[in-house]
Amino acid sequence: MVTSLRDARAGLLADGALRGVTFGRALADLLDATLAELFMPAGGRTRAAIVALGSYGRRELCPGSDVDVMLLHDARGRARPGVHALAERLWYPLWDAGFVTGHALRTVKESVALADDDLDALTAIVEARHVAGDAALTADLVGRARDLIARRGGRVLHALAGAAELRRVRPGPVAEMLEPDLKEGAGGLRDLQALEWAAYALREDGTAGLVRRGFLSADDHARLGVARDKLLDLRLALHRLTGGRSDQLALQDQDALAASVGAADADALVRDLASTAREVAWISRDVWARILDHLSGPSGRGGSRDRVLAEGVVLRDGRVTLVDGVSALRVLDAASSAAEVGAPFDRSALVRLHDMDDPTWDVWERAAFLRLLRGGGRAVPVFEALDHEGVLVRLLPEWEHVRSRPQRNAYHRFTVDRHLLEAVAECARLLDAADETPVEFDGVVARACRRPELLLLGALLHDIGKGREGDHSHVGARVAEQFARRIGLDSEGREILVWLVRHHLLMADTATRRDLADASVADGLAAVCAGDAERLRLLYLLTIGDSRATGPAAWSASKAALVRDLFVKAAAAIERGAAVSVAADRRDALADLLGRDDAAAFLARLPDAYLLAFDAHEAAEHHDYVRAGSAVKVRRHDGRVTVTVVAPDRPGLLATLAGALVVCGLDVTEANLFSTDDGLAIDVFRATDPFGRLSDGVEGVERALADALTGGLDIDRRVAERRRDYRRPGERGPVAVDVDTDSSATDTIVTVHADDEVGLLFRVASAFAALGVDVRVAKVATLGSRVVDSFYVRDAGGAKIEDLDRLEAIRSEMVARLTT
Amino acid sequence: MKLVTAIIKPFKLDDVKSALQDHGVQGMTITEVQGFGRQRGHTEVYRGAEYTIDFVPKVKIEVLADDGDALTVAEKIVEASRTGKIGDGKVWVVSVDNVVRIRTGEAGADAL
Repeated sequence: MVTSLRDARAGLLADGALRGVTFGRALADLLDATLAELFMPAGGRTRAAIVALGSYGRRELCPGSDVDVMLLHDARGRARPGVHALAERLWYPLWDAGFVTGHALRTVKESVALADDDLDALTAIVEARHVAGDAALTADLVGRARDLIARRGGRVLHALAGAAELRRVRPGPVAEMLEPDLKEGAGGLRDLQALEWAAYALREDGTAGLVRRGFLSADDHARLGVARDKLLDLRLALHRLTGGRSDQLALQDQDALAASVGAADADALVRDLASTAREVAWISRDVWARILDHLSGPSGRGGSRDRVLAEGVVLRDGRVTLVDGVSALRVLDAASSAAEVGAPFDRSALVRLHDMDDPTWDVWERAAFLRLLRGGGRAVPVFEALDHEGVLVRLLPEWEHVRSRPQRNAYHRFTVDRHLLEAVAECARLLDAADETPVEFDGVVARACRRPELLLLGALLHDIGKGREGDHSHVGARVAEQFARRIGLDSEGREILVWLVRHHLLMADTATRRDLADASVADGLAAVCAGDAERLRLLYLLTIGDSRATGPAAWSASKAALVRDLFVKAAAAIERGAAVSVAADRRDALADLLGRDDAAAFLARLPDAYLLAFDAHEAAEHHDYVRAGSAVKVRRHDGRVTVTVVAPDRPGLLATLAGALVVCGLDVTEANLFSTDDGLAIDVFRATDPFGRLSDGVEGVERALADALTGGLDIDRRVAERRRDYRRPGERGPVAVDVDTDSSATDTIVTVHADDEVGLLFRVASAFAALGVDVRVAKVATLGSRVVDSFYVRDAGGAKIEDLDRLEAIRSEMVARLTT
Repeated sequence: MKLVTAIIKPFKLDDVKSALQDHGVQGMTITEVQGFGRQRGHTEVYRGAEYTIDFVPKVKIEVLADDGDALTVAEKIVEASRTGKIGDGKVWVVSVDNVVRIRTGEAGADAL
């Protein structure tokens, strides 16, 4: 008996004609026959039955499946030994023949009691199948189990739906993981079983009941049947190949498995599996959403009142519904609304998606599509729905090439299509970060983006070239170009999008493989960006979004730090480059205003950086003031104030002027300080007028500045008074002073971090004057209640200060003076 | 047996890998790490947003080598990863009691 069972099992395993479903039946039949032959009455009046459970019960056994079998009985007391003997008589031959069993010996009452608080035990016995013995006993068990699961309906359904949702996270969707789990993955066999159980919980007998109740469409029901056969077939082949130890389709086994099921190659196998599993996952999620909706009642979600989301699109009972036509715009509006409110499509809307008109990509359709992308993570299920209904490939025909496409490397977790959607979601999240407070570094970059939609399109398309001949970045750039033309993107946007796709790996590669301390690396990146800061920002954000969407191995704090470092350096390089061309343009413009000779003579008296601080019109004014030998001029425009002072240069001039401006109630945001080669200072302050002091005219301020220059204003005392009057209550933050000799070739940069307070610039300038340090540029940046003031300084002789002792002395003196 | 551990600049990884492969090293373990030495971290400002790099990104390489070969391996790493600037990293060598190749059970020098 044992050898014959073992041999018969080996025979089934070796019989290649037995595929999937037929193998499961054949093995179940073999076990049924063996157990029926072994079965004998347990003695006396004891009733007993052999019951098959789990995959054995469903006749879906694979070679590595546990054989779940229960000996059901009604023996008590002294009759117990009889059933124990019978059980041993049944189990030993199975063990000896090499089966792994999940065996149990129970009464109906024990079984039901166990199922009462264990969902797994309950779902097992609702599907119990009679094998041998007293059929009435089995029928009693099944009847009670089905009654129990139906009474527990809501609770069971919620638990099953929750478990289905968890499978999407772990082990993850079969269609989108590179090493999918055929049994437990979302879209795998467990999803199919769960729907059977759901039917019982709804007092229906099998999934046909779900169709009758409107939870499942007849088409989808048929698809599930086909999918079940295919999944079982692959699982059988995998078990045959690996000895049945795992249901996970590892990369290393995919070639052999493809050969054994007759697929062209591993990619073809995985894509075929993915399209099946994608359907199962999608249908399963849809059915669960409908069942949960049914449980919460008609007014459970969103109320019974329609909410208009867009023209022809309403939210009804928590579902997005199309109320009339199905133009592409309606579909796109419905899709972006579904992503925004996080609601699924209504069944009727889904059916009607098939009839969508071809997209014309007018400005409205384009905007709706971009809105859908902006939905980020919530757009992923919407894309799945569009894909399931065949709409996605009509919007984006190139999607067909990446759909369920596997990628074989150690970094990626997802198939190409899911990776692209994840990248869109990550990039949308980065754009969200721009609105956070306090804003993080990446949020600052995102906030500065002028064309955030190009980031989302870039994320959607960056790997679209995968699976075609040639370098996927180059191929993808061509595809992106066609797509951009089709959707009618403007020419600048098109150019940047194509560029992004073309270079999407550049920043990650450069950051990790090049020496960032070498300035030519950042300069090179700036050149690839064509000196465009927007391109650099978009590429930086895409690099982060792409890496995060790839998998945990592709993004680490370490890599993030390298990429950010490269970004900051390249941004500085772009600014420098921009500066050079700006200066050249201004030189030409000034020549037009003053005449070539005058302009050249004037600029020759000033340092090169002068033209970076002022445009040609300002320079022409300065030219006149310098010719006059002195000037004090205050000008208002668009709520900003420019104060220009031309006077003989002397130590402490900045402090004097800054102090006078404080006394006048102006807030200085930037100061540019230049000297001509013959000792005339051109000091220009940009300021705001928070108290509206200038609404009656600027003469008061001009007079105060003139008084200050002649020493007729007691600045120290007046500033001290104002400082006392405006002092904020509460504890003061720390003062920090940094000294940087690396960033500029000609100047030492001193950065002061301190609480924002009245007269800070005056006090810093006074300190510099006392230390004999010449300030050339002062920039004041206010961040909430803190300021970061940067000063480009030289020594009194005009040389860069590099002596470490001197710098330390300056630093500690500044801290000491500003802390008091 | 010795364990040679090196902390190097990330962009030097490919150079070190080729140098060690040319030398006949069969395997190595790479970890992305962060830390600081005399180079310290630094602060950068971008559009008024300040961020501090307290720990600088580095790559850690670990190579098991025979007693006789360990110093040469260390030397190869030093040659391949040197830029002469601050932050080039460090290499150190420590003794290893035993090594077992998990698949076959080979131990000691056989497992290298």
